[in-house]
Amino acid sequence: MENKLLEIINTVLLNRGNEELKDLTKNTQLRNDIGFDSLDLAELTVRIEAEFGIDIFEDGIVLTVGDIISKITAI
Amino acid sequence: MKNIIVTGASKGLGLCVTKHLITNGYHVIAINRTISTNLKNLKKDYPESLSIIMFDLANVNQIHSDIFQKELGFNRPIHGFINNAAIAYDDIISNLDYKKLEEMYRVNVYSPMILTKYIIRHMLLHKISGSIVHISSISAHTGYKGLAMYASTKGAIEAFSLNTAREWGEKGIRSNCIVAGFMETEMSSELDSQQKNRIYKRTCLKQPTSQDSVSKTALFLLSDDSSSITAQNLFVDSGTI
Repeated sequence: MENKLLEIINTVLLNRGNEELKDLTKNTQLRNDIGFDSLDLAELTVRIEAEFGIDIFEDGIVLTVGDIISKITAI
Repeated sequence: MKNIIVTGASKGLGLCVTKHLITNGYHVIAINRTISTNLKNLKKDYPESLSIIMFDLANVNQIHSDIFQKELGFNRPIHGFINNAAIAYDDIISNLDYKKLEEMYRVNVYSPMILTKYIIRHMLLHKISGSIVHISSISAHTGYKGLAMYASTKGAIEAFSLNTAREWGEKGIRSNCIVAGFMETEMSSELDSQQKNRIYKRTCLKQPTSQDSVSKTALFLLSDDSSSITAQNLFVDSGTI
């Protein structure tokens, strides 16, 4: 699941013309470390929903890769 | 084949624009509360070009589950949205009924906003520079007795469209409104001929707004011919003065 998440994050980065990441840690911050803005996070949300069937931003705050993994594994 | 969502496609302007879309090579996903004989016949004539989803847009909370999860899924890209469905509750303000007002806001304002939310998400997923077209009304710009509540829903949609355009323009997603004048549809059928003539006299052309003209403008706004047009209100209203 982490590999799929890395692939999704890299798709959003590439769509913006940014470089891919080689790896992720649970503490990686979506905005501060990866550099996502609100529109990138919107794209990330729908790509995760299409893959895992969950809207990660529907309730609560999601700041890190670990927050996303917690949401997905809680399904 | 490009997929376009049209709400209220069963009759009136929605049916007219659906016919134009289909005959111009689009695939229409029609969302309606009811299904007319005309729409059924259209489905018979063009089975591959028309999908019909039965849904009452007053049920705002079920849009995600019933339309997007159960019917559309994520695999079919959506290229455009024509927000046409609306109800017109008319009365003078001193008789305003909250229940009717609230239902009208659900159909005319909240549902189009929620549909736009999920349509934009689909467009992001499929990297589509899509086009959103809201059907507004001249009543939001030129006051008419009895239409204050209805006109306010269209004013809300025009503001929403402008801000949609600003927010999503960098993804190539466009949003525009067609400000339609009074047409000969069921929505205006309760007006008597004297009232209608008074309205038509307030236009340059002295005639009702043509459904075909509004429909063809919607097709133009969906097409690449309008690729630099966004955040606009296009008045298709016989030149209301």
